[in-house]
Amino acid sequence: MNNSFLRISIWVYLAIFFLYLLGPLVIMSITAFNSSGFPRMSPWECLTFQWFGELFQDQRILNGIKNSLIIGIGTVILSVAMGLAGALMLTQIWPKLRATYYTVIIAPILIPGVVLGISTLVFWDRINRMLGLGADSFLSNGIFLTVIGQSTFIASYCMLVLVARLQRYDVALTEAALDLGASHAQAFRKILLPFMRPAIASAAVLAFLASFENYNTTTFTFGEYPTLTIELAQKVRYGITPAISALAFIIVALTVFFALLNEAKLKRQELVAAARKNATVEELAGKIKLPSFFTGNIAAVLLVAFAVVTITVIGTAATYSPAQCIADVREQKQLEAEQRIQELRKQREERRKQQEAEKAGQGDAQTAPKPSNNSGFGNVFAPNSLDGSENESNEGASETESEPSNNSGFGGVFDPNSLKSD
Amino acid sequence: MPQFLKDFFNRNGTGMGVAILGLVMFWTIGLIILPQLSMLDFSFRPNLPPPEIGGPKDVYTLENYKYLIYGPEGGSQDYNTVDLRVFFRTLVAAVFVTVFNLIICYPIAYYLGQAEGSHIRIFAIMLIIPYWINEILRAFALRIIFGETGVLNTLFTGLGIWDTPFDFIRNDIALYAGLGYAYILLMIFPMYNVIESLDKNQIEAARDLGAPWWRIHWRVVIPYAKPGISSGCTMVFMLSAGALAAPQILGGPSSLWFTQLIYQQFNDNNDWPQGAAYAIVLLVTCILFVLAMMRLFKVNMGDIGK
Repeated sequence: MNNSFLRISIWVYLAIFFLYLLGPLVIMSITAFNSSGFPRMSPWECLTFQWFGELFQDQRILNGIKNSLIIGIGTVILSVAMGLAGALMLTQIWPKLRATYYTVIIAPILIPGVVLGISTLVFWDRINRMLGLGADSFLSNGIFLTVIGQSTFIASYCMLVLVARLQRYDVALTEAALDLGASHAQAFRKILLPFMRPAIASAAVLAFLASFENYNTTTFTFGEYPTLTIELAQKVRYGITPAISALAFIIVALTVFFALLNEAKLKRQELVAAARKNATVEELAGKIKLPSFFTGNIAAVLLVAFAVVTITVIGTAATYSPAQCIADVREQKQLEAEQRIQELRKQREERRKQQEAEKAGQGDAQTAPKPSNNSGFGNVFAPNSLDGSENESNEGASETESEPSNNSGFGGVFDPNSLKSD
Repeated sequence: MPQFLKDFFNRNGTGMGVAILGLVMFWTIGLIILPQLSMLDFSFRPNLPPPEIGGPKDVYTLENYKYLIYGPEGGSQDYNTVDLRVFFRTLVAAVFVTVFNLIICYPIAYYLGQAEGSHIRIFAIMLIIPYWINEILRAFALRIIFGETGVLNTLFTGLGIWDTPFDFIRNDIALYAGLGYAYILLMIFPMYNVIESLDKNQIEAARDLGAPWWRIHWRVVIPYAKPGISSGCTMVFMLSAGALAAPQILGGPSSLWFTQLIYQQFNDNNDWPQGAAYAIVLLVTCILFVLAMMRLFKVNMGDIGK
């Protein structure tokens, strides 16, 4: 096997892999700016920002974000606390129990989310009944159930993150504090907690993200408090609009921003450390000449470029108006649609003639007029286009129609195909 | 009080000890063990309206499990072919998704684990970013690509490779791509963690002794990475068998996922015990399958979750 051939094939493979991984997100983000009513890349119609406006006027989405935040905060508190307790317990549990205990607290990661949701719902419903509380009690509240259900497995993630740092903790530090007269609570708060702070921070971020995007468990427990993910799922299942792409774009942008920010910060710390190591004693004593924020810091450069692009986009959005372009496209489409209707009419006419000729022999023609709801145009053009046709020709027509119909300005809303797959 | 409890309180103090023990008990018993047992118990009961629960009719029954195998009583068929077919299809498809992910992720994990340079960090960020995006939105993104007028169809019909749009959704290609996409990271990271710690000298030595590249992988890298591979596979298998969002959004109209049946029992039929029974069947089968696979490939339970 040739070495350079191997290297090239690795790079090709990496390119394909990351295309698969990131391509969908890029395409989805781009569709947020297309004025077409159905999220798509081509045909590109007009650059528009209307979907963002639509998104922020959607009460259900806003309400979902609010519920997600409340549930997220509750989950972070509960699961970080349980995860920390679980990790502390793991380091000092009776050795014979250790394997069993580990299996129990790691199991929720592997149990399907659906099962966790169901078991939470069933269990707390039973507790609720045993206590003789009504259907509107605290224990059957959607927020409570969702926090409990999500924390069951998110606490396991937190535990894994925390235990990794806890293993590097020197117990002698706590012992020293105790010897010096600190109480156990003081030793925990002043010694162990500061040591664990970075791990607690990453566990909290992880828990919040996991809670925010959870669907499988939440879908059984949310009750009257649908989270953002639940609202999104409802929307995606029953007809998709570019407003969802707009939301996705915002989430992708925020994610990229924070990832770059984090990376730039880490890189800066590294550079600072490297500079300190190389610096002479005088330099350290006097002013430390830090490397400029950008030198050798790709992430920081990307971060700044990203910020500039964002500001430009928001600036354009404030002044740019695609109304003229949209009107043009609509007009063009109307012309196209009319032309197509003419064609279809002609086709239908021909077909009917053919069939009449065929059926003349059988002498039993079905001629009952039938209004068509199959048309991709959603009846808008029905009165002038469908003057009563037979079942068969109708089906044939809607088949030929269904593809061009997606080009209509009415978008996916009237598209029967977009509902079929649900 | 047993000795280990006494030690525990001595070491942590009474207040802290009670807090730790209380939280751990609440988590393990209140959130993990009791709800599962409660669901197991519930799955053996008939579906009764709330006032009759705990009444004389509330007795243990195997009805819910029988329903999965034999279908409704007095039904036209001997077996519940619809649900059973969905069940086995789900398992087979989950295995397929796992194998697919393993094959595409192994080279990446190996490359990231063994290559050096600052671009590795950028690759890691690029891997993590999709994982932070909502599961629903990821499925939605694939729907835009695989839809009838989606990017792929527009591209291929535009290039003249095929004439009529190909229905990716009806043929379940979108579903498999979506499930694979959703869990790529869970496959890569365990493998990456293990491969990263592999001493490069071992590979060098094998190469010096004249082993071709595929034998180096077969005899050196894969045996070493086995714990990572097995935990990646376990996670991907369990999660894709238990996935709900991707099948709901990307699944074809005629092909259900077993979790969708459970969802229907709960939300549409309002038959909770039946849904609980289905959930138990799914959980137990998946666990047994994973244990069998681990025995087959000689992997220890302790290696999982590393």
